[in-house]
Amino acid sequence: MTTAIDIRGVSRRFGRVTALDDVSIAMPEHSLVGLLGRNGAGKTTLMSIIAGQDRASEGRIAVLGHTPFEHGPTLRQIIYVRDNQRYPDDYRLHHVLRIAPAFAPNWDADVADELVDGLRIPAKTPLKKLSRGQLSSVAIVLGLASRAPVTLLDEPYLGLDVTARSLFHTILLREIAAQPRTIVLSTHLIEESASLLDRVVILDHGKVVVDDETEAARDSVVLLSGNTDAVDRVLSGRPVLESHTMGAMTSVTAAGAADDSLRALADELGVQVARATLQDLVSAHGAETPEPLELKKAIRV
Amino acid sequence: MTAIMPTTRLHLNKREITFLVPLYITGTVALISVLISLLFLRSGGVPGSADWIAGSQLNPGMAYALPGFLVYLGVQSVATTFPFALTLGSTRRSFVGGTLLWAVIASAYLTAIMTVLTLIELATDHWFSNFYIFDIAVLGAGDLTRLIPIVFLSTLSMLTIGGVFGASWIRFGGRGPQFIGVGLAIVIIVALIVILPAAPTIIAAFQVWWLAVLAAVVILLSSIGMWLILRTAIVR
Amino acid sequence: MLSGEGPIFLQLAQRVAEDIINGTYAEDAGIPSTHDFAIFYRMSPITSAKGITMLVDQGVLYKKRGIGMFVAPGAREHLLAERRAAFRQQHVAPLLHEAELLGIDRDELADMIKEKDPS
Repeated sequence: MTTAIDIRGVSRRFGRVTALDDVSIAMPEHSLVGLLGRNGAGKTTLMSIIAGQDRASEGRIAVLGHTPFEHGPTLRQIIYVRDNQRYPDDYRLHHVLRIAPAFAPNWDADVADELVDGLRIPAKTPLKKLSRGQLSSVAIVLGLASRAPVTLLDEPYLGLDVTARSLFHTILLREIAAQPRTIVLSTHLIEESASLLDRVVILDHGKVVVDDETEAARDSVVLLSGNTDAVDRVLSGRPVLESHTMGAMTSVTAAGAADDSLRALADELGVQVARATLQDLVSAHGAETPEPLELKKAIRV
Repeated sequence: MTAIMPTTRLHLNKREITFLVPLYITGTVALISVLISLLFLRSGGVPGSADWIAGSQLNPGMAYALPGFLVYLGVQSVATTFPFALTLGSTRRSFVGGTLLWAVIASAYLTAIMTVLTLIELATDHWFSNFYIFDIAVLGAGDLTRLIPIVFLSTLSMLTIGGVFGASWIRFGGRGPQFIGVGLAIVIIVALIVILPAAPTIIAAFQVWWLAVLAAVVILLSSIGMWLILRTAIVR
Repeated sequence: MLSGEGPIFLQLAQRVAEDIINGTYAEDAGIPSTHDFAIFYRMSPITSAKGITMLVDQGVLYKKRGIGMFVAPGAREHLLAERRAAFRQQHVAPLLHEAELLGIDRDELADMIKEKDPS
């Protein structure tokens, strides 16, 4: 499988703040990659660097084989509309629809029209006065109608109503079937997009904590719940990413796959074992490292 | 060339502001000039007399009305257009090239408009009513060999000065334009300090073409400045 | 939209198998393309292709080059046999286990099953 986006050892510092810390990711061509993580984890910075709008302080990045920064032929293959995109003064929708084809060699006007109608973007209102959801819709039109081989969608759902989100999914899937492309999608509405994603990259504090196929990523942790002592025994030293305690009951998200011995022990001790959803996984990796259960018990006693 | 054309088209995308707003402003100034002429008339001025012509030709309306708009046009051509150009996939290099090409087109357009209107004014003996709107001192007093360079060079200077301010805002935020403003003030004051003792000689030797050279230098410096500031600018 | 706990490609394969068993897709008849499945069940085309390929590997579906995907002859019988085998393990075994826990002997259990209207 060809690698469409190859990121090696990329760091990005803004003054003393490290937004990305030694990030290495290889995104396969034509895959749909979810870029997940908490606010401030570095998702937007990473997308900006992939799109050549920003430059890494360290490390190398290749998009379709070239460093995107100031490389015209590569930049024409990428579309990235940021979630707080600025438009020229006095812009209205028709300005965007008129100029985008000049930059996007694969622009599809029918797709644009379909999205504008379906998402009900007002044509006459200045873009500055559009609601959050309407601005997201404009970004979706640019993102999908460009038919760019590398399409970066930054929080495409922000402010969208449920019908619009559904329409976005339908057209996204139809579009990548019609013209395969590599898609990176950042979002906080994880369950809504989970079934779409081939791969997930989870960032936390500027570092990559998960980079895997979606199903494998879900199996990289296990959910346990039951009596605190029993859960602790089943854990038998596995690192805990996130835990909740209620009285004598504890539920944890622990690192490592659920193997047969764990299942057997859990069964014996009456501890429930569940498969993590993508949302569980992202939440666990974003949580501050919890104190060991032993300590909590000590405090409780 | 092929790479910079999309950016030029991006600037020309808002047709109204590039092509029509200058006309609106020119029209408004013309209207006010006519009203002032009527005021002269009512206060006893004799249309066509030497006093009338001298008074009308000193009307500086055009010189006051357009620059503010042109500098704004230059500022927005970078400040709010650059982030969108990058989103569409322009390089910084072709953005600067396309923006300068657009500035040249906009200046040439305004020059052509002014030229045509001046020719009409001269041909109609000042609109059959002794209204001096374009045949005025700041625009070369009806001399096209002066009007054309005056309008073209001053428009292009204002657009590029605006551009460099817009670029500094993109790169350095609110402090960018402040730094450039302060820097510019210091340069001008220092230049005056150096030149002032020789002022009488300089003024005595003053030639109009010096202004053209000055404008050309301003345009060149602004263009280079815009490129230097934007070549590593990022969007945040 | 599929909403089970397991991997999505597996859920799609199970869904299609289910639809072959219940007659939605007849033997030797064409089934929708992987792209259609992707859009209908909201998954990426790569995932749907993975699920469909699984059924092809099992001999349940076959590909006609340039035309599409078809249900293999005997696929329904094959799937049913598989399901029957699984039935013992997945349903009967836990039933017996639970009955044993509750002290229900086999005869009593058989009577319960034979009852016309268990409540």
